[in-house]
Amino acid sequence: MSAVKSSSGAEDIIVIENLNKWYGNFHVLRDINLRVKKGERIVICGPSGSGKSTTIRCINRLEEFQEGSLVVDGVEMINDVKNIETIRKDVGMVFQHFNLFPHLTILENLTLGPIWVQKKPKAEAEATAMQYLERVKIPDQADKYPGQLSGGQQQRVAIARSLCMNPNIMLFDEPTSALDPEMIKEVLDVMVELAQEGMTMLCVTHEMGFAKKVADRVIFMDAGQIVEENEPNEFFNNPQNERTKLFLSQILNH
Amino acid sequence: MLKQKTLEQTKAAARRNKGGRSAAFYNNPEIRALGYQLLLVLGLGYFFYSVISNVLANMEATGIKTGFGFLTASAGYDVLMSLIPFEATDTYGRIFIVGFLNTILVSVIGIFFATVLGFIFGVAHFSHNWLIRKVAVLYVEIFRNIPLLLQVFFWYFAVLATLPSARQSLSLGEAIFLNVRGLYVPKMVGSDLFWVAEVALAVAIAGIFVLRRWAKRRQALTGQIFPVFYTSIAMVIGLPVAALLLTGLPFTVEYPELRGFNYFGGITIIPELMALAIALSVYTGSFIAEAVRAGVQSIPQGQTEAARSLGLSEKRIMSLIIVPQAMRVIVPLLNSEYQSLVKNSTLAAAIGYPDLFNVFVGTALNQTGQAIETIFMTIVVYFIVNMVISFLMNRLNNAVALVSR
Amino acid sequence: MREFQPVPARPAPVKTVGPVAWARANLFSSIPNSMMTLFVMALFVYFIPPIVDWAFLSANWTGTTEDACVRDGACWVFVKAWSYQFFYGTYPEEEVWRINLMLGLLVLVIAASFTLPKHIRLKASVAAWLLLPLVGIAVLDGRLLGLNQVTTDLWGGFTLNVFMAAASIIVAFPFSFLWALGRRSEMPFIRSVSIIFIEFFRGVPVLSLFFMGSVMLPLFFAEGTNVDKLIRVWIVLIFFMSGYMAEVFRGGFQAVPSGQYEAADSIGLSYWQKILLIILPQVIKVSMPNILATFVMLFKNTTFLLIIGIPEVVQTLQTALSNSYWLGGHALEGYLFVFLVFWSSCFSMSLLARRIERQMNTDKRG
Repeated sequence: MSAVKSSSGAEDIIVIENLNKWYGNFHVLRDINLRVKKGERIVICGPSGSGKSTTIRCINRLEEFQEGSLVVDGVEMINDVKNIETIRKDVGMVFQHFNLFPHLTILENLTLGPIWVQKKPKAEAEATAMQYLERVKIPDQADKYPGQLSGGQQQRVAIARSLCMNPNIMLFDEPTSALDPEMIKEVLDVMVELAQEGMTMLCVTHEMGFAKKVADRVIFMDAGQIVEENEPNEFFNNPQNERTKLFLSQILNH
Repeated sequence: MLKQKTLEQTKAAARRNKGGRSAAFYNNPEIRALGYQLLLVLGLGYFFYSVISNVLANMEATGIKTGFGFLTASAGYDVLMSLIPFEATDTYGRIFIVGFLNTILVSVIGIFFATVLGFIFGVAHFSHNWLIRKVAVLYVEIFRNIPLLLQVFFWYFAVLATLPSARQSLSLGEAIFLNVRGLYVPKMVGSDLFWVAEVALAVAIAGIFVLRRWAKRRQALTGQIFPVFYTSIAMVIGLPVAALLLTGLPFTVEYPELRGFNYFGGITIIPELMALAIALSVYTGSFIAEAVRAGVQSIPQGQTEAARSLGLSEKRIMSLIIVPQAMRVIVPLLNSEYQSLVKNSTLAAAIGYPDLFNVFVGTALNQTGQAIETIFMTIVVYFIVNMVISFLMNRLNNAVALVSR
Repeated sequence: MREFQPVPARPAPVKTVGPVAWARANLFSSIPNSMMTLFVMALFVYFIPPIVDWAFLSANWTGTTEDACVRDGACWVFVKAWSYQFFYGTYPEEEVWRINLMLGLLVLVIAASFTLPKHIRLKASVAAWLLLPLVGIAVLDGRLLGLNQVTTDLWGGFTLNVFMAAASIIVAFPFSFLWALGRRSEMPFIRSVSIIFIEFFRGVPVLSLFFMGSVMLPLFFAEGTNVDKLIRVWIVLIFFMSGYMAEVFRGGFQAVPSGQYEAADSIGLSYWQKILLIILPQVIKVSMPNILATFVMLFKNTTFLLIIGIPEVVQTLQTALSNSYWLGGHALEGYLFVFLVFWSSCFSMSLLARRIERQMNTDKRG
């Protein structure tokens, strides 16, 4: 296993040490070690079932783990409701299937968190929400319902919804896998812009173009463990591991 | 030069190929449709004509009176239980109202408890506790698969009928008594200043609406969240109690007392009403539990995950994400369950609870022989009651289904 | 280049698997949870031993009369002594083979509709189903076949519930299909008549329908016609059932994709060919779980026949309970027995419905 790159622990915003997780008796995550610095952009790739989604879902405790430790933005993850809510407020997440709330308008989707979690006045929450909707370039859809939007628009709303909570870390769980090809770009553009502003990002994705363009590090996972991690150039041009090479040849050659 | 057919020639050829016939009129779909409907009109017309003439002839032959004149005639029989004063000399019209009120009473009690049971066991299906989940499944699968009539009889004959006699009544704190003749509970009798407490209760209920609007406005302006739910409960209980204390407890409690062979005073709930209400609640409750389960299960896991990732607490996820979405599935199902409960309350006839069906289609029909009038009047009432339920539930449905997609 | 050597999978830590961990996660995950678990367990401990004792350990199993019930527990002798009446009513004992024959035929037809070779299955099973009620009447009544007549007032017991429910749903099937078609029709008069019919029979309490059948229906026939009470009730059940089934079919019609209609039109099928050959089989298939659910409702509702004095199983039980040789208060035993009979039939049908539904869902995905 390659060495953890980070040297100074002070600026590590996420520290994962010896993380192990089982579903029943199935060992899904095996000895995951990962340190993420503030402002770092990390792309995680790997075959399906390799544990990549499970890893990032552990970071905001959508999944529990049985062994190891996890520190997010200086808060250690323990089995405590308040503690978990604190971490979740600080970590935004974007899902493969958007998961917008179908019974709320786009604007209500965006203001739900600020109003009920951050206890902001409605006007303020709506102003912030409109700013973010403008950033993802769909302010005119504010009063529509999610079902009336295209997939790409829905995913951009989902990103804006997370950003409204003003998170320090953004997790992306295959944000473009459920989209038609022509909509992938509009979502990736938003993500690239976000990366350029210095957001700490962990993306599970197979969009290798995106990885080359913005990632500081690419991590390859298989069988529940980190096989290889490197900066994008090295990773794509000079993979150190047989398994990585095979995977890259499979996804790049079609 | 090629011989070119003109359009006219082509058309003429086509007509020849069809054998020179123009399209048969009976193959025209519109004429066919008209024909079918005409046939149906004639058939139905003949059916109703023969039925009505048969009915008239039969009624004449047996000497049955027609019309609604019987409603003002004295009924000459008493009913087991009545919410309004009633004597045997009162009219069939009044008996109709007595029965109607009794039907409404048992339906309201049934709907209330069925909803409570249904929601408890429906939500229990998603408990973290394995044992509770299994108990919920057991409840639904047992009571939904046993005929309601059997359940009514079970409670009436096998449970309530085996209770001890009045002298050996089961009692709770010497205030509530249960015996084979019914359930006896104390009654609160108010004196002069009792109206103050009643007003306080009304004020509290009105206050909830004001409070909700105020809390919503304040949250919109300042972002602060006010605990509306707990405050409302405190108001509804607190205000009337405070009013009672301030006016010096202006009421007496009438306890049931054993006189001779039975208890008198207080409120009496007859075993017929108990058995019917219990059976209706338990039976319909099992269907409502299924509806609740279906409603909650219809929400994808991703909704909860997205709400969690925003940092919402489990309580808020329930009230802001799960309940509003589940209700859109649950309310239409509740609508039909409530309607079947009202229709099923006619099983009162099996144990003699004097509901509308029992006193009217049962007894009044027997005495007057006017089957058509009594059954018609009764059916109309059930239709109207169900339309009212449907109307209210649709209003509720519109309230929960804000989304126009 | 390095070879990827996966870290070998380790078994999960003992504290997360195994019975202790399971109990911790599923029974004692929090303080309120543990309290509920203990409460439910306490209820079980309190209630189950006396119930087991009453129903089994100190129950009375042998004997033929009430005097045999000397022990404290349940008097199952009562159920045993009346079991013939519970199942067959007052049908003469030497003729009971006819009821058993019909039960056998019913099972046979059900089995045939699932197992016959595919090319004749539909036609053969539809014919068998439609013939079944007629054969049933002929066999049970007996006159047509030259057997002794058994008048309908002797029919009764649980088999009567089964036969009434089965005979009603079979005849209601084609009717409800027509009503559903009528409700979807573009012809305004036909549509309105269908809607009124369906909503009437769905909106009215089933008991009032039975009263109509027993009190009002005789007035509808010409003077002097005397239609058997059971047949009148049968007619009512058919109407009642077809109202509900029409709505089930309407749902089924909506579930068939419009492409199926277009494809049938495009190969030039006539309206009835299209409906009977293409659409109906698909409608029946997607509606199967709901048809079963409606049948369960009808089956449970056959007990309501007691109110108009038809000796179905609950009526038979009431008669048995008031029999002067059995006045020892055996209501609990009797009801539990009939509970069990109904519950096992209804529960197995709902299980079947659920299995078909699951099967259909996986078919859709595959």
